[in-house]
Amino acid sequence: MRLVDWLPAALCALAAVAAAAWWMRRREGRLWRLLAEGNRKLEDLQRQFERFVPADIVDRLSGDAAAWAPERRRVTMLFADLRGFTALCDRLDPAVAVDILNGYFAHMDAAIARHHGHVNELVGDGLLALFGAFEANAWQERDAVLAALDMRAALARYNESLAKRSLPALKFGVGIHCGEVVAGVLGAGVLSKFGVTGDPINVASRIEGLTRDFAVDLLVSEDVRIRLDARFRVREMPPAAVKGKARPIVTFHVEGVADAAPVA
Amino acid sequence: MAMLLNDIAWDEQIVPAVPDPAWEAEARRRRGMSAVGDRLVAPLPWLREFCLYATTFQATAMPVRLINFGAMVTSQENACRYCYGVQRAFLKILGYSEDFIDKLEREMHLAELDDAERAFLRFCRSLARSRPRPARAERDALVAAGYSPLAVNEMALMIALFCFYNRIGVLTACPPEKGIEGAAGGVLGRVLRLVSPLLRRVAASRQRGVATADDDAATLAQSPFGRILVPLAGLPGASHFRRALEGAFASPALSREVKGLMFAVVARTLDCSHCEAESRALLDGFGIGADEFETIVATLDAPRLGPGEASLLSWVRDTVHYQTGPVQAHTRAVLAQLPPQAGLEAIGIASLANGTVRLAMLLE
Repeated sequence: MRLVDWLPAALCALAAVAAAAWWMRRREGRLWRLLAEGNRKLEDLQRQFERFVPADIVDRLSGDAAAWAPERRRVTMLFADLRGFTALCDRLDPAVAVDILNGYFAHMDAAIARHHGHVNELVGDGLLALFGAFEANAWQERDAVLAALDMRAALARYNESLAKRSLPALKFGVGIHCGEVVAGVLGAGVLSKFGVTGDPINVASRIEGLTRDFAVDLLVSEDVRIRLDARFRVREMPPAAVKGKARPIVTFHVEGVADAAPVA
Repeated sequence: MAMLLNDIAWDEQIVPAVPDPAWEAEARRRRGMSAVGDRLVAPLPWLREFCLYATTFQATAMPVRLINFGAMVTSQENACRYCYGVQRAFLKILGYSEDFIDKLEREMHLAELDDAERAFLRFCRSLARSRPRPARAERDALVAAGYSPLAVNEMALMIALFCFYNRIGVLTACPPEKGIEGAAGGVLGRVLRLVSPLLRRVAASRQRGVATADDDAATLAQSPFGRILVPLAGLPGASHFRRALEGAFASPALSREVKGLMFAVVARTLDCSHCEAESRALLDGFGIGADEFETIVATLDAPRLGPGEASLLSWVRDTVHYQTGPVQAHTRAVLAQLPPQAGLEAIGIASLANGTVRLAMLLE
């Protein structure tokens, strides 16, 4: 057989192979673009998520879920609650009330983050911040108290800005306690989140409640107080009975910290 | 996830550049070029020497190809805009495509790497991040992936060196090398790509010229934090690390007490019992007994130091895990209370402590 006889067939076969290769390459390119687009969307989602959860927690949650087996760990909990905000809401336009509340949370979150804490939960006008929950923190009690003092200063600054807008000043109560809790991913399905559970959480909440009774803005438990050094000015409050505890608990009002000492 | 280059907040330069023509000439001789960072650390001999070593690190036990990948992802993980930009540019100069580099930064599992290389890069991120610091199992996984135990030790050394140098970049807010970054994708970058193997060999030969003989374990153990360096015996980097630690503690810009305490604070932040024990032993020799040590580290305050140096204890804790904006603002505030040389030394000590305590994972 001569070359010219099978050349057309060979050229046809070559063209078919080239077309198939071109089609496959195009398809591969489209798949890569889709994959890249999917990755970009996941990255965006992750960055959005990082607004609410520390970045390394997001990384760990998106990696090996087994890395989040529940465990007991020592954590310091800070509860903060606005005084009289519910009544205030009744008087204010809802958009203004939400604007005030969001501004408040932004100031508190920044103060907490400056001292190695993470806001774990917002409930109405209250918040729960954790210190030492996501990673070992040898200074967690001190950090929580410094964060609360920073929150006090931040609230004063925020109230000045509210006054300029002829809006009422806010007041809060903060309770801090530490202890061993169970930390892990709690809940099920879309309602699951990283959190802590255990009796110390309840105690911290009760201590925050005592700030109303004692008419002070910041109380800490004995367990927290013993880990503060002499630069922290504290005043012992009378023992108080709280729900769920057989014996009255002793709390301390933190008045401030010595200015000269570089603690932040 | 780690930040991308253009997402990293970066402040104005925090420490002044100090021109030192003789030192810059030495840097050019040993590295082939001088860098912005050289002028920032020039006033402190121990610091500039260790910085130069970190930026000219040569592997002897681990695969050479991994150094550039590891340097970039470690710098990315540490959010050092300066180092990350330079390392990214070097990868381009070495001929890696933008697509490949992009995958290293974002989605390592899509990059054309083998399993052992991916394991190494995961180790880079894990050790740099240290939340928590990697356990022995991660080291064993690298050995199982086919690396020798000495190669794994050298990998940890490389990461520790970059954790050190990345912090020098972050805490000084070293201005990015825009020239190198810009040239990498252009004609100059292509020319450099052609001559880079030659430059690498020249740099390696010059580095060998300044390296001392490899230290044995007994020699290493004698330096401050020497026990941490013992696993590096047999690697050239060990003697460089030893000389940096000895030089740091001998330098007079800050008191040796505050330096030991800064190491202790970093050790406690990273929950490193080995480095904390080394700090205790060192400080005991400086007259700080066990009780005083515990009080100082628990309160992050040491009346014996005076306000300028005492403020370094809270600050150094913030250099372990940080966001660049806040840590650079904090650094600027702390340095304002110190003489310039002491401020620079504080940055050097914080960086060295971070590198050393991460390296201590080799003792686990």
